[in-house]
Amino acid sequence: MTRTTSPMATPSLLTAARWRTASVLATAAVLAGCASPPPPPPPPTLRVVLLPQKDATGQPVATAVQVTSGDKVQALDKAFALAELGAQGQLTQRIATVDEVQARYGDVLKIQPPSPQTFVLSFLPGSSNLTPESEQQLPRLIEQARARAGGEILVVGHTDRVGNAEANDRLSLQRAQAIANLFNARGFNPDLLSAIGRGEREPLVPTADDVAEPRNRRAEIVIR
Amino acid sequence: MTHPTPRPHWLTLALALTVAAGAGNTWATERSGTFKNMEGDVTLIREARSLPAVPGASLQEGDRIVTGRNSAVSAMLRDGTVVSVGPNSSLDLTHYAYENTSQNGSLLLNLLHGTVRMITGIMGKTNPELVKVTTPTAVIGVRGTDFIVEAQP
Repeated sequence: MTRTTSPMATPSLLTAARWRTASVLATAAVLAGCASPPPPPPPPTLRVVLLPQKDATGQPVATAVQVTSGDKVQALDKAFALAELGAQGQLTQRIATVDEVQARYGDVLKIQPPSPQTFVLSFLPGSSNLTPESEQQLPRLIEQARARAGGEILVVGHTDRVGNAEANDRLSLQRAQAIANLFNARGFNPDLLSAIGRGEREPLVPTADDVAEPRNRRAEIVIR
Repeated sequence: MTHPTPRPHWLTLALALTVAAGAGNTWATERSGTFKNMEGDVTLIREARSLPAVPGASLQEGDRIVTGRNSAVSAMLRDGTVVSVGPNSSLDLTHYAYENTSQNGSLLLNLLHGTVRMITGIMGKTNPELVKVTTPTAVIGVRGTDFIVEAQP
């Protein structure tokens, strides 16, 4: 082992460090009016941490939260930005480390349910009946929902743009309800089954109004 | 010294929106959300009564979720918002309104103490100004977001 510092440097540095420590302690003792060291500052009464978010393709999504306490505001818009409210009411912000967040919030991070999965079922042309291929998928979808804790099935109906928007809201809901009934008839718990009509709002293939487009007449199944 | 921020007028706005959205809704449900994963000691308090919290049980407006030591629970709300509650926590679903067809609504969580993680769902995009978490000392507003709030008792 080689040391690059001179043997004389170490004692003098140590001495200086001892002096600093001693003077700080002495000052604290005088200020506090007793011999015990000052208590650590009280922990923050509130913490808010912004977590990074990704979209379905894995791309980061721009997100933000705003923390308001009395007349103080902190806007968090960076991954792991952490706002802390001190005991004196001061609201500050810093970037936390991943390890810090994992250590403090491991329990709440771990309990997160798995991401929802989406499937598309198709109808026979000009009807509200599923194609045989789509109908064959129903038992497998039920199995996947049951494999989740509190697993739900959402049936989301969509129409094309033939007819007015209100009529399409009703039609899409009726179609979704008909499929929800198929899941129910196969024994899936109706409490965990929802039928939702989205009308013509979310076309798979955008068209002008009143254009018949079979690909837009569909049902999405969300397992979550 | 900090003071709870006075309740803003957004709640009034939210109520007006709920009434408007509800008018065309043929499909009423009391279920605001569904319990998913849980661990340890989790209690659901509804109208001053304790109910067992089990996966698949419903979460409703006005419910309080209480967790013990080393306990945690997650629930998914109808719009896809995920709420996870950490140990030693008490969280109220103070307000929840969501209309499936228009995707409009509003959400207010009140964290009395402990930890909550919220990943906003559809309403984080359609009505972000109507999605809030309050604590005894602060109000947290969102924009399409995943975040954790911790409040000391």
